[in-house]
Amino acid sequence: MISVTSLAFVSMILFSIGAIGVISRRNIFVIYMSLEMMLNGVNLFLVTFARYHFNMDPQIITIMVIAIAAAEAAIFLSVIILLFRSKKSLDTDIFNTLTQGEKS
Amino acid sequence: MVDLLFIGLALLSIGGAVAMVAYSNPMYSALGVLISMLSVAGIFALLNATFLFMVQIIVYAGAIMTLILFILMFLNIREEDLPKEPHKFTFIALGAVVMIPLNVLVIKAVSKLPSKDLLLTNTTFGDIGPVGIQLYNNWLVAFELISILLLVALIGAVVLAKKRTKRVKPVGEAS
Repeated sequence: MISVTSLAFVSMILFSIGAIGVISRRNIFVIYMSLEMMLNGVNLFLVTFARYHFNMDPQIITIMVIAIAAAEAAIFLSVIILLFRSKKSLDTDIFNTLTQGEKS
Repeated sequence: MVDLLFIGLALLSIGGAVAMVAYSNPMYSALGVLISMLSVAGIFALLNATFLFMVQIIVYAGAIMTLILFILMFLNIREEDLPKEPHKFTFIALGAVVMIPLNVLVIKAVSKLPSKDLLLTNTTFGDIGPVGIQLYNNWLVAFELISILLLVALIGAVVLAKKRTKRVKPVGEAS
């Protein structure tokens, strides 16, 4: 029997791995994919409770989240292309042009 | 049968996520995310969300991850371009220590709920018809705002990716 606890466990694990990736990695591509993984965990949680309460509204919210993730992908990847052209690196510690008094 | 399917899909999704964090090459990380998203789509199908199953496969696995893989190949990243991460696993352990209390809290809260069988049903719950009726009746404003957001993102991506001239001309000067 698929219980709501096991589904919540899987979605929380996915969310936590995404958060750990954002915290620990310095490659900007991996950080972006970790953000997607966090969104995926939240989507799974929403769909679980849509089935649990037999209500369609969380599925609509999930569709909205997926649309926003698609819009985010377009902007984020074009910004990554610009940053990689100017800095020739994927390290997030180099992207510090907005800080003051520190030469990069 | 359904239980075995669910356990397999859950293990695959968690394994893909772990591969994403552990590998240092972003190409392998992207493949791990792809496996994870396809498994989550399978879990959506087990939860009676057939329309979301298709949307997850088409939009996430088919569009977003393909775009990321395309950009990764297009940038032609060499080994020396990758950031050095000597303390990666230390930070991963620290992040796990931070995230475990939140997990325990949520799992405890959810396990207090009355248990209910979440098996597949024979109703039209989650099909494209009921989801569309719900979307156009109760969520119309949000739907229109999402379409405007997608248009703005499209224009923004075109403006960001176009070729720049060397010197920016002052505002108002005829080109």
